Amino acid sequence: MSWRTLPRLAAPLLLIALLWEGAVLGFGISPFYLPPLRQVLGAIAALWPAYQSAFLVTLAEATAGFAMGALVGIAGGIAFAHLPRLRRMVLPLFVVSQTVPVIAFGAIVVLWFGNTLAAKAAIAFYLTFFPVTVNTLAGIEAVDPRQVALLRSFGAGSRELLWKLRLPAALPRIFTALRLSAPLALAGAIVGEWFGATQGVGAMLLAALFNEQVVAIWAAILAAAAVGSALFALVALAERALVFWREEL
Amino acid sequence: MTGAAERLDAQLTVAAPPVGRVKLSLNGVARSFGAVRALDRVDLSIAEGEFVTLIGPSGCGKSTLFNILAGLLEPDPGGTLLLDGAPAPSGSLLGRIAFMPQRDLLLPWRTVLDNAILAAEIQGQKKREARELARSMAAEFGLKGFENHYPQQLSGGMRQRVALMRTFLFDREVMLLDEPFGALDALTRALMQRWLLDLWSRYRRTILFITHDIDEAIFLGDRVTVMSARPGRITLDRTIPLPRPRQPSLLTAPEFMALKRELLEAVEEESLKAFAANGP
Repeated sequence: MSWRTLPRLAAPLLLIALLWEGAVLGFGISPFYLPPLRQVLGAIAALWPAYQSAFLVTLAEATAGFAMGALVGIAGGIAFAHLPRLRRMVLPLFVVSQTVPVIAFGAIVVLWFGNTLAAKAAIAFYLTFFPVTVNTLAGIEAVDPRQVALLRSFGAGSRELLWKLRLPAALPRIFTALRLSAPLALAGAIVGEWFGATQGVGAMLLAALFNEQVVAIWAAILAAAAVGSALFALVALAERALVFWREEL
Repeated sequence: MTGAAERLDAQLTVAAPPVGRVKLSLNGVARSFGAVRALDRVDLSIAEGEFVTLIGPSGCGKSTLFNILAGLLEPDPGGTLLLDGAPAPSGSLLGRIAFMPQRDLLLPWRTVLDNAILAAEIQGQKKREARELARSMAAEFGLKGFENHYPQQLSGGMRQRVALMRTFLFDREVMLLDEPFGALDALTRALMQRWLLDLWSRYRRTILFITHDIDEAIFLGDRVTVMSARPGRITLDRTIPLPRPRQPSLLTAPEFMALKRELLEAVEEESLKAFAANGP
């Protein structure tokens, strides 16, 4: 990240903080609906180790599921691009799987995996793999046929075509899917925590809700936003390293 | 020969064959797409080290011919295609002829050097060796100092030179160039033509060069062939007796003008036919 990126990110955050504080003071909003920001930040500071570990737990769950989903999605897209028969048979199943809301599966997943990281990762995975599969497939199919012809005239087989042309050419689209599914993976991990987890941002949110601790709810929301930003930043860094050649990012 | 040319030949090419032998020979090569007859019995023979140019109206099947020669397209049964005197069935041509399409088709994620070695790399050459060879040739291709640039940082003329370098490094004795300078402005194009001739005289490849431009065809070629409107066939095969090396002043010489007049008439006739067949 360059020295210009930080102020660019900080400015909108500062604006939101000012609006928050200003609204609470200016309109006299009851702390039940919206507590002042400094109170929320104070609550986080007071219990810093707890928020820190919740952040890390949820980040680990979301990242594990997200990474698995990305791998399976890319591999699936490649397989579907090369095996039209497999695609006709399996892709419809992928589509059908996405029509079931993940929350309906949540209880089953926890029964299967217990109260582990794997359970939350499974839900994050479920939300990630499909958009990545579809975009990998679309990216591979959008490769310029003239480019394929040129490489074939050099004697390239399908393996060389994949590694030297199709996959790199599909990367911009794959990253579009990854950026879209990073927040989904986080939502998946949080939903997973609602089925009896004791650790993580989602568990914290639920506990605060039951105890009607409005300040703690807002603190958990901020922690969730921090996890989402971290995940998004990971994807953005990887994209900058791999798709550096794209004209505008 | 320059050092790089010597190294290229020593490393990749077999001993230089005698000049004048027939390299590539087509006899009655035809191709139809459904009811459309794109190529109609093309007869063409190109000698070792010869520079042959091909002109014809658009849509005359030039690209079909090139795709057949590159091994990307199967000709209709009946005709014969000989490479080095031996029959070459379609699939066997893949990887044997260096093909350069109209667009440069450089890969944006590869540097100039890595784009140039793409074909050599696919042929199984070690990346490091190929890069070293490419680096030593960069100056000759006007790319010195740009080895590690990416294609999107280059001008059109430079991109075209990278594509040509890729074609040269794909060390095949026959090169097919499909309007390589078609997209360049007139000034750059004239420079590139002289530079290509210079390169050709040093590396001595057999070249078949497609163009729309009659001046270009005469200026470059040992022979100019004219293709008819669809279905395409060779209707004129004219030897260009102009001495080499050729200078730009040649373009206004009377003997050049006489050739141009003759060829213009032939091409005009074919264009009119194409226009009557496909026109409004």
